[in-house]
Amino acid sequence: MSETGEISLLAAPAIRDKIERIAAQIIETHPDHSLALVGIHTRGAVLCRRVFDLLRARGRNTSFGTLDIALYRDDLDNLGTIPSIRGSDLSFPVQGAQIILFDDVLFTGRTIRAALDELVDYGRPARIELAVLVDRGHRELPIAPDYLGQSIPTLRQDHVRVCFRETDGRDGVFLTHPAAQP
Amino acid sequence: MSRPRLFHGGLAVDADHAAPRRLDILVNAEGKIERASPEIKPAAGVEAVDCTGKILLPGLFDMHVHLREPGREDEETIGSGGRAAARGGFTGIVAMPNTDPPIDSGGLVRYVRTLAREQSPVPVWTSGCITKGRAGRQLADIADMQQQGAVMITDDGDPVADAYLFRRALEYARHFDLLVACHCEVPELSRGGAMNEGARSYRLGLPGIPACSEEISIARDLQLARLAGGRIHIQHVSTARGLEIIRRAKADGVRVTCEVSPHHLLLSEDDITDYDTNFKMNPPLRTVEDTGALLDGLLDGSIDVLATDHAPHTEFEKNLDFASAPFGIIGLETALPSLFSRLVRTGRLPWDILIRAFSREPRRILGLEAADFAEGRPADFILFDPESSTHLSADTMESKSRNTPFIGQTLPGAVVQVVLGAELLLGRKQS
Amino acid sequence: MNTVAAPARRKDLLDIESLAPEEIVFLLDSARPFKDLFDRSVKKVPALRGKTVLNLFFEPSTRTRASFEIAAKRLSADVTNLAITQSSVSKGESILDTVDTMQSMKVDYMVVRHAAAGVPAFIARHTPAAVINAGDGNHAHPTQALLDAFTMREAVGELAGRRILLVGDLLHSRVFRSVSTVARKLEMEVGIFAPTTLIPSGRPDYMQAFNTFEEALEWSPDFIYLLRLQRERQAAHFFPSLREYHHVFGLTRERFLACRRRGIRIMHPGPVNRGVELVDEVLTYEHCLINRQVENGIAARMAVLYWLQPAVTPLPDDKEEVAS
Repeated sequence: MSETGEISLLAAPAIRDKIERIAAQIIETHPDHSLALVGIHTRGAVLCRRVFDLLRARGRNTSFGTLDIALYRDDLDNLGTIPSIRGSDLSFPVQGAQIILFDDVLFTGRTIRAALDELVDYGRPARIELAVLVDRGHRELPIAPDYLGQSIPTLRQDHVRVCFRETDGRDGVFLTHPAAQP
Repeated sequence: MSRPRLFHGGLAVDADHAAPRRLDILVNAEGKIERASPEIKPAAGVEAVDCTGKILLPGLFDMHVHLREPGREDEETIGSGGRAAARGGFTGIVAMPNTDPPIDSGGLVRYVRTLAREQSPVPVWTSGCITKGRAGRQLADIADMQQQGAVMITDDGDPVADAYLFRRALEYARHFDLLVACHCEVPELSRGGAMNEGARSYRLGLPGIPACSEEISIARDLQLARLAGGRIHIQHVSTARGLEIIRRAKADGVRVTCEVSPHHLLLSEDDITDYDTNFKMNPPLRTVEDTGALLDGLLDGSIDVLATDHAPHTEFEKNLDFASAPFGIIGLETALPSLFSRLVRTGRLPWDILIRAFSREPRRILGLEAADFAEGRPADFILFDPESSTHLSADTMESKSRNTPFIGQTLPGAVVQVVLGAELLLGRKQS
Repeated sequence: MNTVAAPARRKDLLDIESLAPEEIVFLLDSARPFKDLFDRSVKKVPALRGKTVLNLFFEPSTRTRASFEIAAKRLSADVTNLAITQSSVSKGESILDTVDTMQSMKVDYMVVRHAAAGVPAFIARHTPAAVINAGDGNHAHPTQALLDAFTMREAVGELAGRRILLVGDLLHSRVFRSVSTVARKLEMEVGIFAPTTLIPSGRPDYMQAFNTFEEALEWSPDFIYLLRLQRERQAAHFFPSLREYHHVFGLTRERFLACRRRGIRIMHPGPVNRGVELVDEVLTYEHCLINRQVENGIAARMAVLYWLQPAVTPLPDDKEEVAS
């Protein structure tokens, strides 16, 4: 246990391995399709970017986009502050695209539901798949990942935190028990 | 007839004594002050009223009260207004004549006086109108109204816009030595206005009433009073320059007196936030500089009288947007506690000046008998408890209306008893 | 990434004055992604799905009302328009009756316009719905000021240190009060040019007043904001004639050419009185932002609707429960 009361679930090398495996699986599944990778703000976009870079290094030409699902959340009433809206950036035609959606943690599935709603408002994709780094269970909607880094059993009230170099200065996945919190 | 009463143990202040001094007062069975001295031994058969810790003040007098009867009995009646006066420590008030119908004839003056004797616990005098129907077109029956008991005349609520007519009113009233009181404003400059014109009205986006609307009118009326030679009284002065004009006229020999309301001393336009209509009155709340100048004027005697301009309006009427709501706030029950807590207690207004302006001067100006502690006079004083407090709410107030910025507040100091002749007006629950 | 913490949500937007600069910047930043939505095939987002927005207009205004209506619909809210003429409601008690009636219909947002200052504030105190002031008397028109600031930022970027010159009927203008306040809060310099009769007393002293249009142009404003002149002001002696007004205080052809040489942006809240505030040619000028103001109005109002948070609705009253 670290001094912050968090349990480290995945360290930097493990995260690198998981992301590389996701990239490899994508190439294996889609040997010749042209793909569009879309990451959900904020850390889904980082994950997406890393996979995008790996694919490009292996000569695969894919499109990259980001999705801000703030306006598609179903819990606006309960928010004392609203998340700052960064907007979505999809520079490729969504109509007919093969899209792989990225998020860091899959939990209730509501974020993915919102992202799917938003994507189809841009056009009608041919297919959407889902890639996540961590699946922590407790789904509230019938949603499952097509590409998965690691499945981690958790309690409903646990807090799972994914850190990336780009946004948090280091890579790591941590779990906090509510009881362990100060 | 009741027993003689001895009010003992209290401290008294009056128009000549700012510092509280020990005073016991023996009131005989007829309600007259038999003796007033620092210590009176209770005799047999005398009811003793313990006044320890209380301050005895001469009964207050408010020469500017809107009682709304006849016409708007939903806002106030002579009875409810009279009870509110007693609760506030007033033992005499003057009803303004802008009722519906306006009090512009001897018959209406008699009607109001009769109602008052039946229904009000404190004496109610009335003012008559200057012009018939307050319409500003022809003189009302001034002598007739005076014969029936009107103690002054005013078209309060509006100025007499026609300068010629106002000159004649002053001259005619002079013949009967009747006081003419003026609500000063220039209607064309005030029209549509809701509050003082300035930085605050700019910020609230409300149409303004410029200070000069009042000042020009004061200047006009004083020049006419100089010409006509009568006695003139400027009601609810609200600006520093208006007061300055009155000062100069006084120095110049014009027979002018003037009044200020507690709210113009205590509140300024800066207190108007959130469009609370309990801060809407006419004249409007002015700047803090005006407030300071008015207090200086009261202290140096340039302002003769304190008067509440008690103006009841129902919640229904006041619960409007600021521009549409009517002008005016009530004051009978808030005047003494608010002045005490904000000015007397803080040492900015000595008791003697408060009593001069809120008791001796208005009575003198209207030719009424003084309220003081002199032996042989009818008892006319109040007991004020500086350690107690007054909570202002629908449950505690006698007025039928609640339109005051102090609503919901608890102010230090409380009127605990009003002694008028042989009567104790506030019941007997003395601690 | 610039992730400044979002300011706490408010129940109502009644004026610009009570907004902190951070709140203004937050709303301007949020308006951007809303505007981007207009390029999608589906221009709607579900943020306010199931919510009801009531446009409560006591003063006619087709433009502002339409702008709010489109903004609300693009957020997937249901919109009801209620236009109440002054003749049927002149007293506030009836306003309260109207508000109470609407409240029983469980309205979540009320967009209020009224000819008297303070009415939206008055209504806001009496309803759990979020209230947006869509213009009250001469007091405020906050969404207009936000869309104007958004438009200015879109045109030149950072606004601090930029200059805006407001011209025309400042006295009867809530737009003037709100736009000058927003400009001040965004650290712009504010100049004014108007006939003395139409300059309100009590205005803050940060505004620099000019005596002639030419003098004002020498000050090198980045924006000239022309305010609408109501023709009926002439009758109340604010100026002798429209012809003279245009000649002295309007953007005449000659002055327009001077503006064009300097690349000054021209703005106007609309609708424009051609030949009074400005000459026709201005409307086709490349730096005329008037149409952009209209377009940006929708995005700015979406940002406001999205940000506000209605109060928790009180429990249904007993009457209803007994009745059901």
